[in-house]
Amino acid sequence: MDQLGIMLAVLGAALAAGFAGSGSAIGVGIAGEAGAGIMTEDPGKFGLVLLLQALPGTQGIYGLLTAFFAILKVGLLGGAAVPVNVWQGLGVLFACLPIAIAGYYSGIAQGKTSAACIQMIAKRPEETGKAVILPAMVETYAVLALLMSIILLNSIQF
Amino acid sequence: MTRSIDYGYAVSRLRAMENRLIDQGTLQRLLDSEDLAAAMRVLSETAYGKWILEQQGEDKFEAAIESEMKFVFTEMERFVPDPGLYQLCRLPYDIHNIKVLLKGLFNQKRGGTRRMDLLTSLGNIPTDDLVMAIESEDYRLMPFGFHRTVPECLMLWEQTNDILQVERVLDEKLFSLQVLISGEIGFEEASRFVKYRIDAENLRNLARLKRMGYDSALAAPFFHNGGFVSRDRIISLISEPFEGWERLLAFADVAKALSGAQEHGDLDSLLAELERSLDDFLTGVLEKFRYSSFAPENVLFFLWKKEIEAKNVRILLVGIGNGAEKSVLRRLLRNV
Repeated sequence: MDQLGIMLAVLGAALAAGFAGSGSAIGVGIAGEAGAGIMTEDPGKFGLVLLLQALPGTQGIYGLLTAFFAILKVGLLGGAAVPVNVWQGLGVLFACLPIAIAGYYSGIAQGKTSAACIQMIAKRPEETGKAVILPAMVETYAVLALLMSIILLNSIQF
Repeated sequence: MTRSIDYGYAVSRLRAMENRLIDQGTLQRLLDSEDLAAAMRVLSETAYGKWILEQQGEDKFEAAIESEMKFVFTEMERFVPDPGLYQLCRLPYDIHNIKVLLKGLFNQKRGGTRRMDLLTSLGNIPTDDLVMAIESEDYRLMPFGFHRTVPECLMLWEQTNDILQVERVLDEKLFSLQVLISGEIGFEEASRFVKYRIDAENLRNLARLKRMGYDSALAAPFFHNGGFVSRDRIISLISEPFEGWERLLAFADVAKALSGAQEHGDLDSLLAELERSLDDFLTGVLEKFRYSSFAPENVLFFLWKKEIEAKNVRILLVGIGNGAEKSVLRRLLRNV
């Protein structure tokens, strides 16, 4: 049963890194397509486009961070192995879900917002500051999910 | 049909290309030009400039407009996922070319000359292919169903010797093709735009025929099916005074275009105003996509704006070249 507990915790970590990373990949891809469209006509906007394209990438980092935290918690990343029962394993799995789900959807949403803002700077490069704020609003919810995942992971007693 | 998310690249590129459209300030400078040479100098500063340098002769602005439009269409072919979107906008040029070639053929049979200089390179079908097909009477490879339409037109002319009837068949073909292509690409708003264009064309024809004193029986063949307003409803309007059209069409969106044109007393100025307000109405139909980052209809919106820009440039340069009053030219300008 200890093995099942560990496996559930590993599944949680995999979901956190996998889903949040996928959301980021899709989001960065969407923003990248928009950026390529602008740079075909105006290569001088590379710096502004890169900044906006990078924004949806943070969800992947949050997912990775949560995954590290989860496997560290069950002792798979150095140190002594911790005995994990099924309920503790399930707890780790559930704790990883906020960032997995919110990371996936917010990554895509942020990619779309970034793409729209990249289009905005194509016409109004002087509004770059505002263009960065709009996708950053989406980031808030990924940060909240990350916070919740870490709080939940911390609250699980071994 | 491509998913709308696939238009991220295309719409972004179009947004960047919009920066090359002529802005209001440049349009005003064109309008304020003292003569054609001054207007050409202003035009040289825009996207049309590179084409003007390549051209020679007095009507080089026409060639420059065509070259710029051709450049835009060629670019679209490279990055727009659904070819149907730009094919819709190029079809009128195919029909124009077929009309020019058929009229030339008919003229030649009567001992007249052919006007190959009126052909445009903006259609979907390369001009050389079209000329070759019609000259060799080998229509088999003509796309968009023209392999049936062209022989039909030739037969009609043999029977009636009436070029207007041939033109009506080709116009009907244009609109039925636009309805078909817009249906096939599957973007609802593209289909709606085509329907609005048919409504606008029917209203334009209605005003022209009214001015020429046509009755409903004579005018009926000039109207097209496929718009939001039925052909029968349009035909019934010809016996009504112009002032009543807006009220009778109040159920249709295209009636908005009539409200601005109501104030004109004589039919000549009314026609010019109606043409302008119908173009502005169609611009308004696509305007909402200005704020859609992934809507495929942005392709239609950009091409429409480009067409309107070309129309504005043509109005200004022809007007200035002929010494028209600035106030008259200003009234004719379309909103972009």
